[in-house]
Amino acid sequence: MEPQTSQTITVTVNGETYEREVEARRLLIHFIRDDLDLTGSHVGCDTGNCGACSVIYNGQLVKSCMLLAVQADGARIETVEGLAPEDGKLHALQQSFSDHHALQCGYCTPGMLMSAKALLDANPSASEEEIRKGLQGNICRCTGYWNIIDAVKAVAR
Amino acid sequence: MLLREVEYVRPSSLDEALRLLAADDGARPLAGGQTLLNVMKARAAAPDVLVDLNAIEELKGIDLAPNGTLTIGAMTTYTELLEAAETKARPILGEVAATIADVQVRNRGTIGGNVCSNDPTNHLPPLMVALGAEMVIAGADAERTVKAEDFFLGVYLTAAGPGEVLTKIRIPAGRSDGFAAVTIGADGTCIVNAAASLNGEARVAIGCVAAVPVLIRPGGRDADAVRDAVRGADLDPPSDVHASGEYRRHLAEVVAARAIEQASARS
Amino acid sequence: MTETLSPAQPLVVEEGEEQRGFAGTNVPRKEDKRLVQGQGVYFDDVKRHGMGYAHFVRSPYAHANITSIDVSKAEALEGVYGTLIGEEVAALTDPFFQLATPPGAHIKDYALAVGKVRHVGEPVAIVVAATRELARDAADLVEVDYEPLGAVTDARRALDPETPVLHEEAGSNLSWEGVYEWGDVEGAFAEADHVVKISELHFDRFNSTPLECDGAVVEYNRGTGQWTIHTNNQFPGFAAIMMGPAMRTGLDKLRFVTQDIGGGFGNKITSHPQLVACCLLARKLHRPINWTEWRTEFHLTMSHGNERWFLDTEVAVKADGTLLGFRTKALDDAGAFLRYEPLGGVIWAQVTPGCYRWRNVRLDFTQVVTNKAPCSPNRGYSRMQHLWFTERMIDIVAHELGLDPVEVRKKNYVKAEEMPYTTPNGCVYDSGDYARMLDVALELIGYEGLAERRADAESRGKLFGFGIGSTLDSGTNNFGQSRLINPELQFSGNNEVATVKLDIFGEIVVTLGTTPQGQSHETTAAIVVADILGVTPDDVNVRAGHDTYWNSHAGFSGTYASQFAVTGLGAVKGAAEKLAGEIKKLGSVILGCPESELELADGFVRMKANAEAALPLMACGAIINANNAGLPEDLDVTLNARYVYRPPFELPDVERKYGNLTLTYAAQVHAALVEVDPETGVYEIVQYAAIDDCGKRIHPQIVEGQVMGATAHALGAATHETFTYDAEGNLLTPNFYDYHVPHAMDMPPLKTGYIESPSPFTALGTKGMGEGGGAGIHAVCAALQDALAPRGRPVVYDSCNPYHRVWELLQDPEASRRRVEVISK
Ligand SMILES: Cc1cc2nc3c(=O)[nH]c(=O)nc-3n(C[C@H](O)[C@H](O)[C@H](O)COP(=O)(O)OP(=O)(O)OC[C@H]3O[C@@H](n4cnc5c(N)ncnc54)[C@H](O)[C@@H]3O)c2cc1C
Ligand code: FES
Ligand code: FES
Repeated sequence: MEPQTSQTITVTVNGETYEREVEARRLLIHFIRDDLDLTGSHVGCDTGNCGACSVIYNGQLVKSCMLLAVQADGARIETVEGLAPEDGKLHALQQSFSDHHALQCGYCTPGMLMSAKALLDANPSASEEEIRKGLQGNICRCTGYWNIIDAVKAVAR
Repeated sequence: MLLREVEYVRPSSLDEALRLLAADDGARPLAGGQTLLNVMKARAAAPDVLVDLNAIEELKGIDLAPNGTLTIGAMTTYTELLEAAETKARPILGEVAATIADVQVRNRGTIGGNVCSNDPTNHLPPLMVALGAEMVIAGADAERTVKAEDFFLGVYLTAAGPGEVLTKIRIPAGRSDGFAAVTIGADGTCIVNAAASLNGEARVAIGCVAAVPVLIRPGGRDADAVRDAVRGADLDPPSDVHASGEYRRHLAEVVAARAIEQASARS
Repeated sequence: MTETLSPAQPLVVEEGEEQRGFAGTNVPRKEDKRLVQGQGVYFDDVKRHGMGYAHFVRSPYAHANITSIDVSKAEALEGVYGTLIGEEVAALTDPFFQLATPPGAHIKDYALAVGKVRHVGEPVAIVVAATRELARDAADLVEVDYEPLGAVTDARRALDPETPVLHEEAGSNLSWEGVYEWGDVEGAFAEADHVVKISELHFDRFNSTPLECDGAVVEYNRGTGQWTIHTNNQFPGFAAIMMGPAMRTGLDKLRFVTQDIGGGFGNKITSHPQLVACCLLARKLHRPINWTEWRTEFHLTMSHGNERWFLDTEVAVKADGTLLGFRTKALDDAGAFLRYEPLGGVIWAQVTPGCYRWRNVRLDFTQVVTNKAPCSPNRGYSRMQHLWFTERMIDIVAHELGLDPVEVRKKNYVKAEEMPYTTPNGCVYDSGDYARMLDVALELIGYEGLAERRADAESRGKLFGFGIGSTLDSGTNNFGQSRLINPELQFSGNNEVATVKLDIFGEIVVTLGTTPQGQSHETTAAIVVADILGVTPDDVNVRAGHDTYWNSHAGFSGTYASQFAVTGLGAVKGAAEKLAGEIKKLGSVILGCPESELELADGFVRMKANAEAALPLMACGAIINANNAGLPEDLDVTLNARYVYRPPFELPDVERKYGNLTLTYAAQVHAALVEVDPETGVYEIVQYAAIDDCGKRIHPQIVEGQVMGATAHALGAATHETFTYDAEGNLLTPNFYDYHVPHAMDMPPLKTGYIESPSPFTALGTKGMGEGGGAGIHAVCAALQDALAPRGRPVVYDSCNPYHRVWELLQDPEASRRRVEVISK
């Protein structure tokens, strides 16, 4: 294998497999949003601080602006678009976010939901403190987090 | 967010990685990417080739020897560090790892990348120095071991030079360790941090006050001795928007003393 | 975190009248379904064939002449579609219209720097290319030569003779000045038993940093000459009147479209320069243009909150703590351009006496330009600065005179029985009961048990502090106030538009003129319409977003300045009532009875006396739209109602600077408990209470959400958020590493409460809300001052108190105490 400025990658996103040629320099978030047109994941910073781009990557929560798309060759990725179990139904976290008014502008919400999902997947009975820690990588500028924490708490067992 | 053009390659063995790094002066290892990609986004650095270390099994894994020595692969993530059974032998490792940034960063960031980037505000450089860690570096033709206190040379500059890879970090047995920091918000960037260890000689290493962690060997093992030693070290920390040099110098004393108090509470 | 409590249930202090309909209930938010599924459409989700990506070339200097720009290398790069530089902008457009009188009026402001740059990050050129990365590559190839000039970053030095002048046309760095004086200020000071002098207070520069930065996708239709601007600009009405004349085009050629916006907080009002640049590029390059602003760019250039100094303040106080008056010199740092300024020079006057009965006030307002990012509205715009100042005065007076801050507040608050209360400058506080709100705050914060908490904290080596922030959220501007800064301006009053129609299959469709950024307008509008038309909010389809093609906008349309609950819902109510009237008119024809005998209920228009005699709304829609043969010729029913809500305003008296500047006054009283580590200055907010009164609450949960959001902003601003510059004009906090906004682990335990004082002046008893007046900043400053008092009584003089500043106060309390002097008779 020799270094290349672009390569063809195969990525499974929300169960669907995509094959695309991508520049090595392209960040995974831009690949997801611009190349795959999955615009649910967002960009809120340029330094990896905000978590708006959070996705679950091979079972682990990551910020997709902190990975190159080419690194995702062969990876399984879950984004907010894949969260609802089926059309017309919401995931328990999605419903709880709505019930608790855990979103206002909704810009942080996709990333926040993925963080919450990763947290509860690993720790279904997360305590409030664990929830705060689990959401620490996601900035929300609208809600002050209190309602988000409540929303996740309501789903935690 | 927009990187300069770069070549990418993901070798599956260390030898291959070393070959690729040697082949191009502008090649850089890519570990967790949690610093390197940010620097590239800002175009503050623009390597020609990224040699992704993520597929190299030999750089992963944690080994606990019967004598308590931990050998940690450079590509071990913070999450692995805090979850692994082996690291419970030196609890401070997991405790500090758990306070680095956030889940996402901990899932990707590696112990090797943390020390190799040697950002002065990073958590692990002072910790490695205080614990008396040894860094194992592989070059094109040889492997060598460097003591942590000799490893850090400057901001983004370490003994792992161009073409080399830090492969593992060896940490001796011990439990009497402490870590204290003043951060910008909970689990935020460190304004000043300090790690202390009382296994054998007392060692305190202070971060954020110079380009490299400042190692202090206080005369005694209590907080007063540490404060005296920090005062005697004539620190000249940088000033920035979060702290004046004077404030940092003061905090250095405070966090060093707190780190040693935590360490002695565990001895 | 020491404690992790979630907010308690809001404490209901006053039950509203008996509940009818959906108003006052927490119906599910209509916006949520799409947003939780990642199906929102934010500007950057809009994709167009052949779209080019714009990247801005920005100044690395705070102040410099541009000697040359060479774009040839950039244009030669493969994949680059073209460029735009200041010279072209100057040829194709006119400078933006200035709100100021001279000298500010002379400032020339274009979409790109022309000849000179005046702050780091100022756009100098734009490159458009096939991908984002290529555009960035090409931007690096644009060669700009600069001749650096000296910079001014400290407003206090801006008018010194040796200070470099930013805008030579203006003659100096003065952009606007005005003297405000009401009551008998001299008399008040003559009557005072104590005069408390405060030499210098500083309200820091920050903004609310919405998570989504600015941007647009701009298309140009060559056939019609019209631009379609998909943008997150939050005040298209304002953007249009800035852009149209500059672009020498009619306003209908500028179509603004927006669906979802990722937060705004006022920071997205002044993106018109960038939008003009994108329009020029779309036309020049014959292709749609995507402009995505990155976080660092946002921090460097967009909408900083006004930084303000209060100099030589004097407060006149009676021995019993009665506040008679104050005088001060406000020095406002506007940054490099006046994009919405100098409106900040008058907006503060909406809340001249804060929550207090100060009758005699003099404020000399001076605004200067500096080599920093331009200031523009930020949640609590200009009032927050002034309210912080009033709260600082209260607490400093209390501390210096040994009075109880609670008692001083209670003694001097405007009283419930005085409402509506006319302030010294003619503003009318519509309703409220601040003292009662304070009581609720004290109860929630555990005021009774404070001594124990203090003792407990002290036993752990901590300094303990308690602070109150009482503040106002004035909403629904009378734009006539702009005449106090420039009598020539032809703005006054306010308005907002809504349309409600009943469609062929009975679908109720609402369009709004507003541009919500999370304020849930779809939901609250649906509630109001549902209650009037006798349906459920689920039956009401409120179109998401804003589109100037929908014909549901007016000159002041947008979402800013705490007004939707009044102007937006006022328009919705008006339109729904108009539609209801038409439905009854039609019902009376079909059912053959007078309109007065009809009601709208359960999806029908029906006879009050006989529910069987009913016509479903669906039938009404069908009859008018598709089955109208035989209807009386004079039946004036379209089932498409448009209503413009116009609040009852008069022109203010420009000479006396007197008049009602805003329609409603929501109020907040917050209380904070802090624990300070005396060794480091590190502190933690250990308990927080926020009490809100915004009149009638249409959807309590949404109101709560706004209260929490405003609280979080204030806590961030009080602790870490600052746009600090070095002497050369470099921004030291250009990203979320150095500009630390609160994260989940930073939030204190919160308790919220409310009272409801319906506004007598609005259609629904609502008041504008959401800005929160910075109460958290005031409360934290007060709590810190209380906590530090045992250590030499330092004076908290800055709105932002990061750890280092607290430590400095602890180290050298005298330095801060030199700012204060008490002269007693
Ligand atoms: C939002 C955010 C907050 C953060 N906060 C903190 C914090 O509070 N404390 C903290 O300590 N860190 C923090 N970090 C940084 C983070 O810990 C990084 O993971 C770490 O600095 C670098 O590790 P990495 O594995 O990501 O390395 P990379 O970014 O991949 O690499 C860093 C550098 O080291 C070199 N390198 C990496 N591995 C090797 C190797 N094995 N041999 C030779 N050279 C190598 C690379 O070439 C590169 O130059 C934060 C990061 C983010 C995004
Ligand atoms: S966009 Fe990825 S962390 Fe902000
Ligand atoms: S809801 Fe707007 S950023 Fe979280």
